[in-house]
Amino acid sequence: MSSSLSSTRSGPGRVLVAIYGVFALAATARSLVQLVTKADEAPLAYALSALAGVVYIAATLGLAEIGPQPRRLAWVAVGFELVGVLTIGTLTVLDPELFPDATVWSAYGAGYGWLPLVLPFAGIAWLIRTRPRG
Amino acid sequence: MDGPLPLVLIYGSLAFAAVVLGYVALARTPDWGLLGFAGVLELGALVLLVVAGVQVGDADLSGAGTVTLFGYLLAGLVLLPIGFAWSLAERSRGATAVLAVVGLTEAFVVLRALQVWQQ
Repeated sequence: MSSSLSSTRSGPGRVLVAIYGVFALAATARSLVQLVTKADEAPLAYALSALAGVVYIAATLGLAEIGPQPRRLAWVAVGFELVGVLTIGTLTVLDPELFPDATVWSAYGAGYGWLPLVLPFAGIAWLIRTRPRG
Repeated sequence: MDGPLPLVLIYGSLAFAAVVLGYVALARTPDWGLLGFAGVLELGALVLLVVAGVQVGDADLSGAGTVTLFGYLLAGLVLLPIGFAWSLAERSRGATAVLAVVGLTEAFVVLRALQVWQQ
């Protein structure tokens, strides 16, 4: 039972990738169904959920070290995710009627057990913990 | 979907996650027993999908509801194989803990499918 501390996909990183993968699937699939079946009801909210899905996919690929420059991809995705959840979360707490339907990041991800708020911090902490030395 | 199978699958998945956490605490790697447990859950997810396919004609579901229902059921079917593949590629506590995430997610998607069915 050993892991490489410079790899984002090893050890605890494997759980993080799995959780990001679940969110990527959930956010993308949900927003696709919403955009296809009732886009006119809350187009901005559903588009934001689709954007969140893309961000989660990018974070999953980056942390799983898939593709070129995965660490950079992970940093950009997780950073965007943090800004997104804090911005949308604050806006929807200040004005709950801002969107006709909830997004993944509404009320800081309260609808998803606040995991959307916790995840970017966990991702950033893991990226710092596994940063290459020297 | 109207029978006990969804609830059995939900509680079975939660029990699977709890067993996995026990493995993680004891630093044990997944074994044939755990694989067999997951195999039973996978079989249950497959049966649930078939049952939903048979019963959906009699259900009062909208088009979006039907798509959502089968989306959750298909997710429940692919979660375990993908989770096991990701977990077994490495031997570490973190890799084993992936299976706990899979168990909890399996329980959640079956619960959501049941809620969509009962709407």
